Formats: sequence, structure tokens, C-alpha cells
Amino acid sequence: MTEDKIKNLLQEADRMAGLPIPVSANLSAVVRRRAHRRRFVNLAAPLAAAAVVLIAAGIWNLAIRTTETTQEKEKIALLETQLKQLYVRTDAALNLIQDVLEKDQKQQSLDELEAQLASIPDPLEEIQKQVDKTAFILVYQADRLYRELNRTDSAVETYNRVIELFPKNRWAQVARQRLSEIEEQRKI
Amino acid sequence: MADTIDDEHLVKQFNRGDESAFDRIVERYSSDIAALANRLLGWSGEVEDVTQDIFLAAFLGLKKFRCECSLKTWLFTITVNKCRSYRYKRMLRRQRISQAADKAFLTSAGAADKTPMDSETFESVRRAIQVLPAKYREPVVLRYLQELPTDQISRVLGISKNALQVRLNRARAHLREDLAELIKE
Repeated sequence: MTEDKIKNLLQEADRMAGLPIPVSANLSAVVRRRAHRRRFVNLAAPLAAAAVVLIAAGIWNLAIRTTETTQEKEKIALLETQLKQLYVRTDAALNLIQDVLEKDQKQQSLDELEAQLASIPDPLEEIQKQVDKTAFILVYQADRLYRELNRTDSAVETYNRVIELFPKNRWAQVARQRLSEIEEQRKI
Repeated sequence: MADTIDDEHLVKQFNRGDESAFDRIVERYSSDIAALANRLLGWSGEVEDVTQDIFLAAFLGLKKFRCECSLKTWLFTITVNKCRSYRYKRMLRRQRISQAADKAFLTSAGAADKTPMDSETFESVRRAIQVLPAKYREPVVLRYLQELPTDQISRVLGISKNALQVRLNRARAHLREDLAELIKE
């Protein structure tokens, strides 16, 4: 019973509300147009999205490559600069080492020469020695001529030769003394 | 039965690429679909958009229709589903719209008044229907206003007959409570 009342109420309300505004006569055409548009969008959207993704990927790739190229170039330039600086430093170090070695060698050679020179007797001294020796021998011979052989003239001649040849030598002084002695002896 | 055979023929024709078959389907069912949508949406009157959406879904999905039920049942199923989502969207939209629109509609509806029901009673019934949860409102509309047989309703709603009976009982209980004064009279 209640169900009938509910049914009646609902149906009365439905009648009162009336029919909905009639759908347009071209509903089918509108729907078909919308369906075609949606199909096109559904078909085109993935393609467009794929195209956009591809383009974006291309741009991104290009950008990365450009960036990489630029970065690589910058890196290469930096490395080249560093390498040049390294070359310069190495050259400088080598030159320094070369100089030090040369100096060492020179110093060593100099030391050796000095050592050799040190080992060589002084020629002047040697000459002086030889001069002294010669003057002594002459004086010795003259002494033997005068004292042992009594050849006074030969002895005087030899003493004079010593004074003539080695005037500043000590044996020249000795020769002068002998000549003085001989002179005094002759006076006596 | 003849309609069913004709529907099958139209569907096959459409699936072969003849879109004029769809024009005939729309011509045949647009009124029923619009009326059902109007009832499911609480007699809102404006059903053009939702009807378009229903037939658009039908157009896009007709190739998948296997004729396991009648075309009308299939279209009603689409209608129920579309109206559910449409109501949800409208509910969100109505939070921003004043109740003045409803009153304006009542005034215009009253102009077509050919029954003894006054606008106050109509508003009470409408509100009672509107506050019913969808799972109760849909069986009520299909049963009492569309006057579909139980088999078809259970097919449209995708539920068993027992479940349909349960929902109808609960819907009636809700309505008895909400429309108690009107029923007593």
C-alpha cells in the first residue's frame, strides 16, 4: 500500500516536472563531430607528445653537446695553458740544473787545475834555485882554483863572471868578498 | 523483439563504418535517454549536455557492444553512469551557486502544472529523491518512473535481482521516512 503511495507521489512529481527541454535535432551530428574531434585528439595527442618529447630530447641533446663541446674546449685550452706553463717551468728548471752542473764542472775543473797548479813547483823559485845553484857552482869552482890549484887569475875571472851574471845573488856577494881578499893578498 | 533485431542491424551497420546508423539510434533513443537523465538528475530540466555525453560515450564504445543485452539497456547503463558523475560534478558546482536557481525552476515548472500537486509537495518529493544515495535513487527511478522490469533494471545497474530488491526496500524505507506526512494524506 505504501509502495503504491510512493509510486504515485513520484509519478505525480515526474508529471509536474514535465519533460526535459527537447534535445536538439542535430544531436547526432554534434555527437559525431565531438567523437571525431576526440578521436583526432586521442590520435594526435600521443603523436604531438612524442614529437614534443623528440624535439625536447633533440634540443636537450644539442644543448648538452654544445655545452660539452664548450666545456671540452675550455678544458683543452686550460690544459694547453697549464702545459705551456709546465713547459716553461721545466725549461727554467732544466736551465737552472744545467747552469748548476756547468758551474759544478767548472768549479771541479778549477779545483783540479788548482790542485795541479799546487803540485807544480814555482818556476821562479826553481829558476832562482837554479840560478843560486849555478852561482854557487861557479863560486865553488873559483874557490878551488884559488885555494887548491893556486890559479888566482882564473879564479878572479870566475868570481867576476858570477858578479856579472848574478849581480843580486848572495853568491855574487861572496864572489866580491873573495875578490877583496885576493886584492888584499896581492897588496901584501 | 523486432526493435532488438533492428538494433543489432544498426550496430552492425555502424561497425561496418556506416555512421548514418548512429543517427537512427539517436533518433530512436534520445527521448528516453533524456527523460531518464532528467529523472536521475532530480528533474533538473537541463539535460542537453549530459545527453550529448551519453551518446558520445555510446558512439565511442559502440564497436565494443556485443549485443549481450538490448541496445536500450546498454544505453541506460551508460546513462546511469554518466548521471552519477554528472551529479557529482554538479554537486561541486552547486556549492557555489545559490538556491535561487532551484526556486526559479520551480516557478517555471509550475507553469506546466496540470496535476493537483502543489509546488511545495513537488519540492518535498524532489528533495526526498535528491537526498537518496545513488544506489537507492537509481532503482527507484528505473522502477517507478521508467517502469522497467526487474531483469532490465538489474542488468542496467549490474546487480543481482536480490540486491535490487534489497536496495528498493531500503529506498522505500528512506522515502517513507522523508515523505511521511505526504503518505499519510
